[in-house]
Amino acid sequence: MARLKQKGKAGAAKAYVTRTSAVKKLQISLADFRRLCILKGIFPREPRNKKKANKGSSVPTTFYYAKDIAYLAHEPVLKKLREHKAFAKKLARALGRSEWSSAKSLEDNKPVYTLDHVIKERYPTFIDAVRDIDDALCLVALFASLPANQRIPSSLTQNCSRLTAEWQLYVMHTRALRKVFLSIKGVYYQAEVMGQTITWLVPYQFAQSIPPDVDARVMLTFLELYQTLLGFVFFKLFTDASLVYPPPMDALKDEAAAGVGAFSLQEKKQDSAAAPSGTEVRADGKKVTGKDVRATIKSLAASVQTEGEDEIVKAHETAPSADVDATDDFVAYPSTSNPSEVAELPTLHSISTLAPTIQTKLFASCVFFLSRESPRSILEFVIRSFGGRVGWPASVGSGSPYDENDESITHVIIDRPVVEKPDETPEEKERRRKRKYVQPQWVVDCINKNAILLEEPYLQGKILPPHLSPFGETIGAYDPEEMQHLGVGALADEEDEEMDEEADADVEEDVVAKAVESADPALLHAAELAAEAAGVDSAAFEQQVGKAARRQSKKAAPAEAPEEEMNKMMMSSKKRKLYEKMKYGERKRAEEKASLEQKRKHIAKRSKA
Amino acid sequence: MASDSEDEDFVPGASDDDDEDEFPEIDTRSDSDDADTPDEDEDASDASSSSETLHVGPVGKTIISDITGRPKTVYPEIEPDYDSDSSTEDDPNRVGNVPMHWYDDMPHIGYNMEGQKVFKAAKGDELDKFLATVEDPTSWTSAFDKSLQSDKPLTPEELDIIKRLQAGENPDATYDPYEPTVEWFTGKGKEEVMPLSAAPEPKRRWVPSKWEKKKVLKIIRAIREGRIVPKNPKTAASQPKVYDLWGTPSSNQPPPLPAPKVKLPTNAESYNPPAEYLPSAEEKKEFEEADREDREREFLPQKYGALRLVPAYKDFIYERFSRQLDLYLAPRVQRKKLNIDPNSLIPQLPSPSSLKPFPCYRASKLSHGDRRVRAISVSPDGLWVISADEQGRVLLWETLVGRPVRTWQFKSKVGALEWCPRKDVCYFVVALEEQLHFLTPPHQPASIASLTHALLSPSVAPESKAASPSPIKWKAPEAGVLADDEKPLLTIELPQSSGLVKQIAWHRRGDYFATLSGTESHTSVWIHQTSKRHSQAPFKKVKGSVQRVAFHPLKPHFFVATQRYVRIYDLSAQELIKTLMPGIRWISSLDIHPSGDHLIVGGYDRRLCWFDLDLSSKPYKVLRYHARAIRSIQFHPVYPLFASSSDDGTVQVFHSRVFTDLMSDPLIVPLKVLRGHRTKDGLGVLEVKWNPAHPWLLSAGADGTVAVWSS
Repeated sequence: MARLKQKGKAGAAKAYVTRTSAVKKLQISLADFRRLCILKGIFPREPRNKKKANKGSSVPTTFYYAKDIAYLAHEPVLKKLREHKAFAKKLARALGRSEWSSAKSLEDNKPVYTLDHVIKERYPTFIDAVRDIDDALCLVALFASLPANQRIPSSLTQNCSRLTAEWQLYVMHTRALRKVFLSIKGVYYQAEVMGQTITWLVPYQFAQSIPPDVDARVMLTFLELYQTLLGFVFFKLFTDASLVYPPPMDALKDEAAAGVGAFSLQEKKQDSAAAPSGTEVRADGKKVTGKDVRATIKSLAASVQTEGEDEIVKAHETAPSADVDATDDFVAYPSTSNPSEVAELPTLHSISTLAPTIQTKLFASCVFFLSRESPRSILEFVIRSFGGRVGWPASVGSGSPYDENDESITHVIIDRPVVEKPDETPEEKERRRKRKYVQPQWVVDCINKNAILLEEPYLQGKILPPHLSPFGETIGAYDPEEMQHLGVGALADEEDEEMDEEADADVEEDVVAKAVESADPALLHAAELAAEAAGVDSAAFEQQVGKAARRQSKKAAPAEAPEEEMNKMMMSSKKRKLYEKMKYGERKRAEEKASLEQKRKHIAKRSKA
Repeated sequence: MASDSEDEDFVPGASDDDDEDEFPEIDTRSDSDDADTPDEDEDASDASSSSETLHVGPVGKTIISDITGRPKTVYPEIEPDYDSDSSTEDDPNRVGNVPMHWYDDMPHIGYNMEGQKVFKAAKGDELDKFLATVEDPTSWTSAFDKSLQSDKPLTPEELDIIKRLQAGENPDATYDPYEPTVEWFTGKGKEEVMPLSAAPEPKRRWVPSKWEKKKVLKIIRAIREGRIVPKNPKTAASQPKVYDLWGTPSSNQPPPLPAPKVKLPTNAESYNPPAEYLPSAEEKKEFEEADREDREREFLPQKYGALRLVPAYKDFIYERFSRQLDLYLAPRVQRKKLNIDPNSLIPQLPSPSSLKPFPCYRASKLSHGDRRVRAISVSPDGLWVISADEQGRVLLWETLVGRPVRTWQFKSKVGALEWCPRKDVCYFVVALEEQLHFLTPPHQPASIASLTHALLSPSVAPESKAASPSPIKWKAPEAGVLADDEKPLLTIELPQSSGLVKQIAWHRRGDYFATLSGTESHTSVWIHQTSKRHSQAPFKKVKGSVQRVAFHPLKPHFFVATQRYVRIYDLSAQELIKTLMPGIRWISSLDIHPSGDHLIVGGYDRRLCWFDLDLSSKPYKVLRYHARAIRSIQFHPVYPLFASSSDDGTVQVFHSRVFTDLMSDPLIVPLKVLRGHRTKDGLGVLEVKWNPAHPWLLSAGADGTVAVWSS
């Protein structure tokens, strides 16, 4: 006889645990559990059947996989958290007894956890990590712009701004930026790194404060994880691009608000690869003998020497040196008997010689000067990512490579209304004539279109054309560009046409309508001939055909409806529910689209009137 | 101003040594004075400072001490002479501490120093006492003097003592609990000069310790050997170390599923969107009034003329935070996204136009006035229709013409009527309450008419085989039922109180028919044999109330639908074959496909179940598309059609093709919803019947009309 099955010993009852029981099992506080879940990336699961997972109870509960919790129980971070709890007690006691020296030594030996292994576990391969840095970049960019307070130490914001700057340096260096979108929330950037599309949002530079309904502890825990993740990812990215990581920062320049310019990218020398390993040995805290010390001094001296030899590469001057030797290319040897037999494979050379789909040196021929009010942090990054050269006034920050009076400047990015300057010197006038004064949106639109657009609509003081999302809308959604192509006149015409549709009862049109109705190409052709004979040009005829077809489809639509209604009776209820859900979504999208189109027409009509 | 001078006796500033002896004593003179002149007393207390005047007992003088140089209080010396004790004081009554009730009966209360009697003071009665408490303001501050046997007012000093005692303070007004301490042995210049012990200082106090030296040497050795290392400098430790994390091989476990990415922004989020994206005033209002959770999108599109005008987005941090909440709090489920056209979910059925003929429009209509038409029946050749309303009128009319040819008026309600399916004879059965009448239409061909008469009213009645007398009587009609020429050919009388006959179900051959009466007993179902004039109740007992009965078209099977189940009985073997469970709460109707393999059941809960009798006892398909209860359903005997009627006033026509091969399922296609009957009192179309020869449908409604639907 088979064994009797006991309730709660297998299946969902065993696979899931509630949050309360998980916290009890791990013997930690809820706050620590939350911290652990954030760090380890463990999230609640929805069991198929809640009753089965919760011993027959159907109260709303959060469930976790029992295996996830078991996996947490062996976590080194959990051990450290417990140690920290003990440490906090000891410290409180020492402080209470005014034992300052023991409190100090306790504080010095405070248990600190590292997240290296967590990163490795969560992202076993580098690609996994790169794919997931969107959120990390957003949060780091946010914290870089937050003011420091008791909760947020200044070292944290400094580290965040360092990470953001490093990321920008890398993106500029590898020309990875693809799209930029100026939204009301901030600036969306999209880059392509290691074949992964990474989109991140950077807020506009304003002082923000954490609202009261936001739990700062959660954000800081995430930030902790993200900082570590970004550190490792950047290290790998920089090293793979044979750059030194972390890029050395010039403190003086940073003080003078040079921004990204405070960092300098250095190419790595092959022989200095041993340097990081040397520092690691020192950090281990092993015994240091006199020999070791001498050896270390020697190696240090050597590394200093090599560092001195390192050539400093300015970020905006570097270009990826992809010099592929043409002679190394694959050459196909076609068969003599049947030359067409061999398939031509695309080779690396042929691919690289093809016109690139994305032009990453879009602004190579342009030199920009940012006026005082245009956002330098955005524009400098964006322009330099596309090979442009940028200068800015000293009031915005130091380190500008171009002076305002530089003759090579081709574009001035300016974001203020036109002011008449009566007392312009002839030189200034000349300069003004040579340069293009455009608004910042021009740069972004050029990038999104991947072509240098005409400056005319973006000139200083002009009403800008709408800025559209480069990421596109969902399929079938309202497309403003499509409407743009139709043009304002067409829109208005359509309105009119609908009005007097009934009025014009042309004989010829009737013929066309009949031809369309019968869907007979011969009849249509005959109608076309007749139209030609009557002196109607082909464009007008096409228009008529289109009109008739539209009318036809309008007529046909309600005819098939009742039949479908009847067939719906025969659907199973599961399918019917799904169908109704899908139809609901469809209807909603259509409504949204229709309302936008309606608004558009309304606006067009008003502007025409 | 005698009282003033006497008061001054108690002023400490002016007091002398001799004043003290009056301390515990109550001065009689002052008492009387106080009683006489209370206002003056108040004046006196006003004149002198309160703390001074309220002093009792010896008064100290504050002088500077010669030794300490600090102020000190010096009290006057108490001389232990006669006057120093208050007990030696002048008491007018010198009887001593004796119980005073000894003098209760005497006119006096004791004797004075001279030995003369001290007489009692004139004592008033209780009323005087009361008046004294009211009139004399000092009465509540007076106390009873035992030795004088009279009330004496208390002096202000005594009242002050009482007040202090009540407040829990020291009764002495001059007592200062916070006097400055006098430092006798501590403080500057008062240190002890002399040591406590005269022992010489030990050597260990000034010779360096050997053991300490050893310990230090040990540490020095350890440092030199590198066993003790200094702590890492703080700055190096705080810097996070980065290295090539992915340089070492990782475990080959699959990576956890990446979190879903945030949706990419659309045009509406632009700082400078096309004008049509901007919300109208009411959209804006709706957005602002809605809760954050209810909003469709988290922001309102806005348009700024220039980039410099774009302000900070105030929900930025909140949005990042909610994203993080999503990441660690939201259960993640991998869902397969169906990327299909919703219309592909609709079953692909042949177009109704390819399944013609089926009834599409109303060809004719016959009105019964305002009476509900409960029953209709079509003759086997399809030419004639009979319909009966609730008031006992039966109309015979031609299908195509729609005009009544003949009318029979019965006295009671007609429950059911059904045409005999035989084609060689022509008659129909009308069921009233407890009576079944066999009628024949007029204008029949002679051969048919004679055969019908021979069958129903032969000259020699066939002999009933039943051994026991049956409760059912077959008899020739009585004269009074109808007019003479409309007389039924035959009448069956069902047992008394069996109720209105709800249904007549003919067997295919036309010899047997079953009737179903309204009562819930086993005798509600009867099977009658016309040729032998024999009736029998097939069931000894029936579970539940029978709703519907039917004969199998080919086999000797009998279907009985109770409220929830359909049971199939074998009549020849007399056993139950199968029970079908349609899952309907209350079955209203039932019909069998002409092939005999399929069954449809309709219910008052709007469901219509299709059973394949070869398969399960559960329905093959359940259709639920009538808005109200289903009243009647019927298969067409020839065409692959069936129809259902409902209380919502519609008749729905379906195509139902049944295949002979066992592999293909029956095809059911909804064809047409026929509308035309009005609903009345919640009742719609009560009965549908097919014309057996054509795809025409007849429907009888509660609105008193019978409609013919033609293709």
